Amino acid sequence: MKIAHIYLLLAVLLCSTVYAQPGRDKVEALRVAFIGRKLDLSPSESQKFWPVYNEYNDKVRMIRRNLRQEYHRGANGISEKEAEALYNLDLASRESELETHRVYSEKIRAIIGVRKFIILRMAEEEFKKEMIKAID
Amino acid sequence: MKSSQHIVIVAAVLLESVFQLSAQRAVDSAGIRLPRHYFNTVINLDGYRKPEKDLDTVNRISRRLQTYGVRQFAISFYTPLMTNVDEDPQTHVTSNSHLLLTGNIIALRPTFAGIPDHRLMKTGLGLRYIYNTGRKGVWFFDVAPFLTRDASYPSRPYLRLAAAFIYSHNVSDRFNWRLGLTKSFMWGNRFYLPFAGIRFGRLDRVNLSIQIPRCVQLSVPLNMWIISIYTRPQGGMYNFANSDSLYFRSDARTFHFTRYELNTGFRVDGLITSWFNFYVAAGISSRNNITFYSENANPARRKAPYNTYFYARRVDPGLFINLGFVFRFGKTRTYLNDVNLYDAMDVGNTNDGNRKSNIPLTPRQQSALNLKGIEDLVDYNDL
Repeated sequence: MKIAHIYLLLAVLLCSTVYAQPGRDKVEALRVAFIGRKLDLSPSESQKFWPVYNEYNDKVRMIRRNLRQEYHRGANGISEKEAEALYNLDLASRESELETHRVYSEKIRAIIGVRKFIILRMAEEEFKKEMIKAID
Repeated sequence: MKSSQHIVIVAAVLLESVFQLSAQRAVDSAGIRLPRHYFNTVINLDGYRKPEKDLDTVNRISRRLQTYGVRQFAISFYTPLMTNVDEDPQTHVTSNSHLLLTGNIIALRPTFAGIPDHRLMKTGLGLRYIYNTGRKGVWFFDVAPFLTRDASYPSRPYLRLAAAFIYSHNVSDRFNWRLGLTKSFMWGNRFYLPFAGIRFGRLDRVNLSIQIPRCVQLSVPLNMWIISIYTRPQGGMYNFANSDSLYFRSDARTFHFTRYELNTGFRVDGLITSWFNFYVAAGISSRNNITFYSENANPARRKAPYNTYFYARRVDPGLFINLGFVFRFGKTRTYLNDVNLYDAMDVGNTNDGNRKSNIPLTPRQQSALNLKGIEDLVDYNDL
């Protein structure tokens, strides 16, 4: 394949992506920027906090996404056996999320202190409300 | 492109698929798997062109060559092989190390109007190790052996080695310095060069980065675009078949062709999606230098620059244009606002001489919103 053909192919790809819907990554970047402004971390806190907080978010996101995908799969009818499995997954996911929340809350509190921890939770809620409001 | 180069690309993509499949690990009873790596697999397609300029009419070889220009196409990639993350339970400092496979294929066509075209190939496969201490430092090691040959005519291929060792220190998120040592062919010849860099400004905001000898760059992010003004050298050492008898000894099948130029210009990066971006750059190419070294006159100089040349010219400044596409594959861990990981990404890009724009920018709020984007954040109780 000639180089010109490769570039033509890529130009088509480019056009299709220009009109692509902005996704979760961008919302996540907005959220982190919003929380960063609210928290006002010192450089030392920042270096420890963001890797732990990112990992916490990755885990919660994966738990929720996994559960949501299973519910979507069962949207067009579900057998008794599948419903039982989904019920168990629902409970396990919520337990898992709670456990993740507990473990990481302890870590985050140890890094930034309890006052900033509460500011963090308030900032998360505030951002969520702003997003919902903006979509309405 | 020859079949061997296609094989390298296909092998790299297959390897990447295998690594991405095995790149997740279970975290809990709900069967959740978290991505193992922070680095995506990145494939970069890069086209570069510099129009022909007349050579002098005094020298015999110049008269023969008539003009000099450059057409270059490069495919490069890196893919993570191993990632190790370690969080100190006492201090909560998260350190991580990354082993990456790197590779590139460069097809260079120096355009001399007086002789038939030569397609000079460079094919390399290397390893890169990055250690992020989690505090202020990032260590970077890169070893990249590569093969150069003239694909147009029978000639002798050469195996060479480029390497870099850099320590990068984040004094704060707004100021960074780097020190290191590189073995590089970027300035045409084989050079062992010290590396020294400083950066003012955050990597995801307006920043001025001075990385000697790689680049000097002022970057201004605007929503999901990055506008840059930069100066950087570009060059390499290739093998050139003596099919046109440019070297007087007719029994010599191959000689070494080196080139470098200093490109100063504007660059625009479009960070279109999380898996794709493109860039366009244009400007003035100055200090255009080409040199031919014979094998015979530089026989046993394995660790020093080649020094005996039979032709060297500095060509008039001219325009250049550079266009590239960057594709990212695979799911990765999130590293938003993680200054050290931004730096780990940047030090690799600086060494490659090309920004891959894998440092996330903060978009304008209006353009980022849709229902899909927030479904991980909300529960039905929130509505």
